[in-house]
Amino acid sequence: MVQPIVMPKPGQMTETCTILRWLKQEGDPVKKGDVLFEIETDKAAMEVESFYDGTLLKVVVKEGATVPVASVCGFIGSPGEPIPAVAPPSAPPPAAATSVPRPPAPAGVAAGSAPAPVTAPEAVPVPPVPPVFRISPRARRLARESLIDAEKIRGSGPSGRVVERDVRAYLDAKGHAKIRLTPAARALAARESIDILGLEATGDEGRVRVEDVERAIAERPKPMSRMRQVIAERLSRSVTTAPHFYVTTTVDMTDLAAWRGELKRAGAPFTVTDFILKAVVQCLIEFPLLNSTTDGRSVKWNSRVHLGLAVSVDAGLVVPVIRNAQDLSISALHDRAAALAAKARDGKLAPDEMTGSTFTVSNMGMLGVEQFTAIINPPEAAILAVASILPQAVVKDGQIVARQVMKMTLSSDHRLIDGALAARFINALKARIEDLETWKRTTSW
Amino acid sequence: METYDIVVIGAGPGGYPAAIRAAQLGAKVAIIEREAVGGTCLNWGCIPTKTLIASATLYHRMVNAEALGIRAGAPAVDYAAMAKRKDEVVAKLRGGVETLLKGNGVTVLRGTGAFRGRNRIAVTPDGGGDPVEIAAGKTIVATGSTSVVPGFLPKHPRVVESRAFLDLKSVPKRVLVLGGGVIGCEFACLLASLGVQVTVVELLEDILFMLDADVRKILRKQMEAVLGVRVMTGRPLEHVQASDRGVTGLCGGETLEADLLLCAIGRRPVTDGLALDRAGLATSEKGFVRVDEAGRTDVATVYAIGDVTGGPQLAHAATSQGIVAAEDACGHGRPRNESVIPACIFTSPEIGQVGLGEEEAARLGRKIQVGRFPFQSLGKALASGEPEGFAKWVADAETGRLLGAAVVGPHATDLIAEATAAIRAELTVREIGRTVHAHPTLAEVWMEAAHAVHGESIHAAPRKKVKAS
Repeated sequence: MVQPIVMPKPGQMTETCTILRWLKQEGDPVKKGDVLFEIETDKAAMEVESFYDGTLLKVVVKEGATVPVASVCGFIGSPGEPIPAVAPPSAPPPAAATSVPRPPAPAGVAAGSAPAPVTAPEAVPVPPVPPVFRISPRARRLARESLIDAEKIRGSGPSGRVVERDVRAYLDAKGHAKIRLTPAARALAARESIDILGLEATGDEGRVRVEDVERAIAERPKPMSRMRQVIAERLSRSVTTAPHFYVTTTVDMTDLAAWRGELKRAGAPFTVTDFILKAVVQCLIEFPLLNSTTDGRSVKWNSRVHLGLAVSVDAGLVVPVIRNAQDLSISALHDRAAALAAKARDGKLAPDEMTGSTFTVSNMGMLGVEQFTAIINPPEAAILAVASILPQAVVKDGQIVARQVMKMTLSSDHRLIDGALAARFINALKARIEDLETWKRTTSW
Repeated sequence: METYDIVVIGAGPGGYPAAIRAAQLGAKVAIIEREAVGGTCLNWGCIPTKTLIASATLYHRMVNAEALGIRAGAPAVDYAAMAKRKDEVVAKLRGGVETLLKGNGVTVLRGTGAFRGRNRIAVTPDGGGDPVEIAAGKTIVATGSTSVVPGFLPKHPRVVESRAFLDLKSVPKRVLVLGGGVIGCEFACLLASLGVQVTVVELLEDILFMLDADVRKILRKQMEAVLGVRVMTGRPLEHVQASDRGVTGLCGGETLEADLLLCAIGRRPVTDGLALDRAGLATSEKGFVRVDEAGRTDVATVYAIGDVTGGPQLAHAATSQGIVAAEDACGHGRPRNESVIPACIFTSPEIGQVGLGEEEAARLGRKIQVGRFPFQSLGKALASGEPEGFAKWVADAETGRLLGAAVVGPHATDLIAEATAAIRAELTVREIGRTVHAHPTLAEVWMEAAHAVHGESIHAAPRKKVKAS
């Protein structure tokens, strides 16, 4: 009996999943418990196992595609069994993700001999996929034997179907007959379905070598990780909807850094960053509009400071959140920030530790940069970019002296924040960081 | 000051082809040589030893000719005549190289080259005299290597390395060979074939340890059982003493006695007198000159090739490297460094090896398939009375691409050429299997071994299963 493979729902909050890689191909035998494919949500990657024995008859959702949970991703059955008709692919609005398609009840699928109905009332809804690629069996075979990607061919048959003469014309136009491959390069290209057109040939007399095919395999586009897709979506939305503007100031860190050195020798764990975070929290309370959030139509003045920290992790970036930062002493702030950063690097942040921030600090102090600008983390109103502390010649009391200075740049959403406010905020922040007497008075160790 | 486009230092099997290639490409070329044109290979290595091995092999076959239905009486070795023939062959080839250099317009400068700067070289003539300074657009260092003789060996005429051994006018009765590498094993087989009592001492666990165990096993068995060589492995040779009466050494608690000790524990790069620092070059800890795949050193105008660069110590590797370096130095296209380098060992039986070995593949974690075929199942090998050994392919398990080959047995050093061409051309197992090999020939062994990868040999019992690792 033909069984649909259904996209699981790996988490309470998960609405969509991306297929990273199919481990089985159409026609492969499948045992119950075999891993069919790997998926990735915005939180994690995992493997999906088969519930059935049989043969993978059809792959509906291709690698790299993101589909709602409970979508039908493919079918398992016996070879030759009719595969249920699937709803013609269309491009539903993004809201489609909220109406989760349901797979048909397995009992509803006719077993064995009955041909699949042309228009099945229980047609399985499929997620949006690109227009169907149509190709004749002869054309498909020729393309496969020629080691080319048939989907690049424009078809001349009905509904743009690619027929054999289209493949031949394409091969002629691309100079396919002139391509020479070593036998092992050919075997490898066939095995890995590498399109041999356009391969660089480094062998004698212009032959394509194994090394050339291996390079093409290594360069084959891979789906972006879920994390990168989230980064791409959020940051693109931020720069296209929030009109950014920037104000920069220079902070003299000499005295604070020296005092922090003293504290460290006394065994205190604080870093310079902890002082900056503490100063930011205090200034946000003083300038609540900087701590507000917006959906573009309304503005929400947040009375609590949930401080986001941009943390660099393997192949990406996460923003863990220090909740109610206004209630925390510098010591508690330090512990919280260190714990969250460690969790972030281990990939162990819980979802609620990554949501709900009202303002974000991006610190590249450890990375040797003089200055940089950050992109606002929506729906926040601003973000602070903290650069490295570097020795610089500074005019102090009319004298040029060497000081340890640090540049900070505030990116603000001009829909909410005007230039004068941003300037007042960043100068207040600078003054607070440089005010060593207050630090000494308020910091207990 | 005479100015040359290319100056090659050292006229060995790396240097002289580099000089000729550069001259072919239109460069004004000089080559500096302080000893004999042809280098170690031609004068004190490959060629003289193979000349002696030819005599020794014929002698050994004559002694054992009765098995082939020939009574040869009592053949006798005239080592002085063998050595004379060796010298004649060497002289003839050396003259050939000199003619080639002259014919290509290469200036041969006799003496020792030393850098005076990046582009200036002083040549001190043999036997002293004022150095002559020349200017070089580009320099190719091809100074080769020399035998290592460790300090614990006494300095005595009865303790020799390979070069000094070749100057001997007679063979001793008993020889102790220190080192079971390529040179040690070749000399051991050569001497044993002439009836010399040979003991080989090797510190590592086996002789020729860089080869796969199955290949080593065949050679060791033949050396011990047929040639009567005593092979002692996994133990050092200690307390070596030499006197006019002979040489003694302690190995594993046993005192070994011999008339001569041949030291063959390895070779070190030759850079003495070169003054590489004057060109701005430093050598590695082991004394090698570091180069990239085109033979370029850290100094833009200086190249280095061959043994002095620490690659495989093989004449043909140096030749290939020399040609690539010469083409790069002359700005001739984008030369490709050849990575498929066969190794030949002229033992008895011979060994040929190229590409990836089974043990190396396992270390790299590569999925391979192996096909093996014994000479004893091959008509020609039986007919020639040389049925020992086998050939094997190492192929990629997924695509069937040929990755490596090894052969131990009759004419193995010639047979490896087919495997080398097949691997470089990136052929697959099936293609070699379907290539018609003439019958009856030893080369059929490659076709059969290729079939064996898939368990499809026609001339092997079907129990031979595919071995995948």
